[in-house]
Amino acid sequence: MEGNGEISDTDSGIILHSGSDSPMTHMKDVTTHTRAMKLKHQALQERLEICLLELKKVCIREAELTGRLSDDYPLLPGEKPPQIRRRIGAAFKFDEQSFPRGAEESELSFVDAELALQMKIYEAVRKLCEEVHPSKAVKKSRLQQCKREEKKLKRLQETAFQLRLEHGRSSPLPAFNIAQHDLGTSDDSSLSDSVVQDEEVTSQSSQLSSGLPDPGETDPPRLPSVSSQSFSKSSYMSPSAAPQNLPQTPSQSPHPSLTSTPSFSSSPASDLPPIQHSPWTESSLDQPYQKNRKSRSSNKSSSFKTELLPPLEAVFASHLKLGHSQSNSTPSTPEMRVHRQLSLRIPNPESPFERERGRTRSARRRLTEFAITLPDAPLPAVNYANYVNSEDSNSEHSFSSYNSSPCQELPCDSPKQYQSAFVHSGPGGSCGTQGFPSTGFYHNPRQQSSPGFPKAYYTEETAYRPELDLARGYYTQRAPCAPNRYEYYYKDPAVLHQRAQRPLPPDIRLSPSPAQWEHPQYRSNGLPKQVVNEQLTSWHHRSQLKSPRSCSLDRQGAVRVKNISARETAFHQNQKYHEQVIQRRALQREETRWVVDDGSHFMSQV
Amino acid sequence: MSNFIPGQPLVAVVQRIEIKKLRQGDNLILGFSIGGGIDQDPGQNPFSDDKADKGIYVTRITPGGPAETADLRMGDKIMQVNGYDMTMMTHDQARKRLTKKNEDVVRLLVTRKSLEEAVKNSMGGYQRQ
Repeated sequence: MEGNGEISDTDSGIILHSGSDSPMTHMKDVTTHTRAMKLKHQALQERLEICLLELKKVCIREAELTGRLSDDYPLLPGEKPPQIRRRIGAAFKFDEQSFPRGAEESELSFVDAELALQMKIYEAVRKLCEEVHPSKAVKKSRLQQCKREEKKLKRLQETAFQLRLEHGRSSPLPAFNIAQHDLGTSDDSSLSDSVVQDEEVTSQSSQLSSGLPDPGETDPPRLPSVSSQSFSKSSYMSPSAAPQNLPQTPSQSPHPSLTSTPSFSSSPASDLPPIQHSPWTESSLDQPYQKNRKSRSSNKSSSFKTELLPPLEAVFASHLKLGHSQSNSTPSTPEMRVHRQLSLRIPNPESPFERERGRTRSARRRLTEFAITLPDAPLPAVNYANYVNSEDSNSEHSFSSYNSSPCQELPCDSPKQYQSAFVHSGPGGSCGTQGFPSTGFYHNPRQQSSPGFPKAYYTEETAYRPELDLARGYYTQRAPCAPNRYEYYYKDPAVLHQRAQRPLPPDIRLSPSPAQWEHPQYRSNGLPKQVVNEQLTSWHHRSQLKSPRSCSLDRQGAVRVKNISARETAFHQNQKYHEQVIQRRALQREETRWVVDDGSHFMSQV
Repeated sequence: MSNFIPGQPLVAVVQRIEIKKLRQGDNLILGFSIGGGIDQDPGQNPFSDDKADKGIYVTRITPGGPAETADLRMGDKIMQVNGYDMTMMTHDQARKRLTKKNEDVVRLLVTRKSLEEAVKNSMGGYQRQ
């Protein structure tokens, strides 16, 4: 267009020049003079025409954007102003009742009007949403928009309703009526093309754009006038942004074909952005990332932390003490075992707290996993019990201190301990059977434990089954030096079957029979595989990082030393927790030993 | 930068900026704020020429902060952080990328209008498209 103007300009310029030259020739010949004048006139006229055309085009364009035909539009005497169709936008028909005339209850009527509008928007968006569209992104964005509008609508409805209640009016009907009524009427206007095709755009229609970016999660835009019964939503797009949206609209014809009264259309954009935008915000980078974004899991874990930390510290302290007195074991050993136990427990869906524990201890785990796999939290008592159970690893010896016979453990004590542990875990139900009995079971084979334990054992086993390969690999690697109870977990059921059929070493007299393996719980306890996977892999890595320790040293050597310190701690510190801790430790120690005993046996089978 | 055509290589004049994070207790302080991202409405970005630009922009510089020391300026568009592209990131991803706890230094590639213009002028409008 600009090009046109320039061209015509230069054209006429040339001719004008010749015209200005003409006075020179003026004297010469009248005919040449008139000819020149004619030429000039013609040229001017041509130029005028071009300019007019250009003006028209600009006016139409403007009208398409603003919805109003400019007064400057050049009209020939008989000519009717062209009918401008706004390129984008939607028009909705409203019932009169949705806009009460009276100025009273202005707030309510205001909200009503907004609500009515929002209803329309929502309907339109919903229809758009249902429409088949080849592009996935478009579909998605439409869906999102639909949801957003729905949310807005609900909020509005709520406000309207509450206002009504306040005003003592009970029926929020007008607004709802509109929605129903509109379902039918707005069918004919296809929003997907974002084109208004409504000839009856009267004073009751209002034009609005549904695709506007929502500036903030604030209330929907205030409407300029309600009483006039027509209101328009002014565009949020800055002028510079609006043109960008134009190319996206399917209907591009600059020539208006369908009618709508231009003066009622006001907002340019209803085409949907491919991505649903949140308002443009800034965020300071001076705060740690996690703090500002409230992720569910992090909140959770932090709250747990505060809740459970004191016990943890206490236990850990004693734990460390004991670890020191246990001269021979490598310093890393306790850690390793803690990790192992924690990670093994992780799959247990019933003990989220324990998982949280695990996270706080070994911060390597990812939050999301926890969040995803966590069902409802069981009672704190359970957590604590489980936690204690899984927590300690180092001080198993301490148990024997009570019995003063380090090697022959506590036939008398352990059942009782187990009981107490179980009481703790009792409220959690299945949690208890999954968390504790595993230790109990291992502990008990020597002590003729109750028949209930194997079940729990199996349930745990199930959880780990997906990882059999991994675990097996791991154990074959470090089999000779550090077998422990967990390898037991990772045997294939088949292997265990085999084993069960073979003459058993005395240690595993109580090992499960095939029938027990088939126990219903055995299979029923499925867990998200990848979660288990992740946990075990990390555990695996961690374990491999540790140097394989010698099983003999920290097993038998330090027992007595530990006993003393354990007793001390037990007596000097919080009894309730520590008794348990110590007991747990003892149990675990025993397990370990037990497995150690026949570890080679297992290994040979893999 | 402003006329980015999807699928076409992007030409941008960038400046390298290295910010040493300031450690304050547990927090690492960068000393600036960012806005934008592909999940935010680019039309509201006051810093961009092209209102369809969904890049990450520096919206605020804390006086005396590490960013100011490193000569980062308000309105800069962050192109890369430690080698990671930042032009197609959500706001959150960008934050994450910038506030990694284990990184004491972030190396940014930023572009800014004045840079572009300076280069354009010196190249005699060669870059103009």
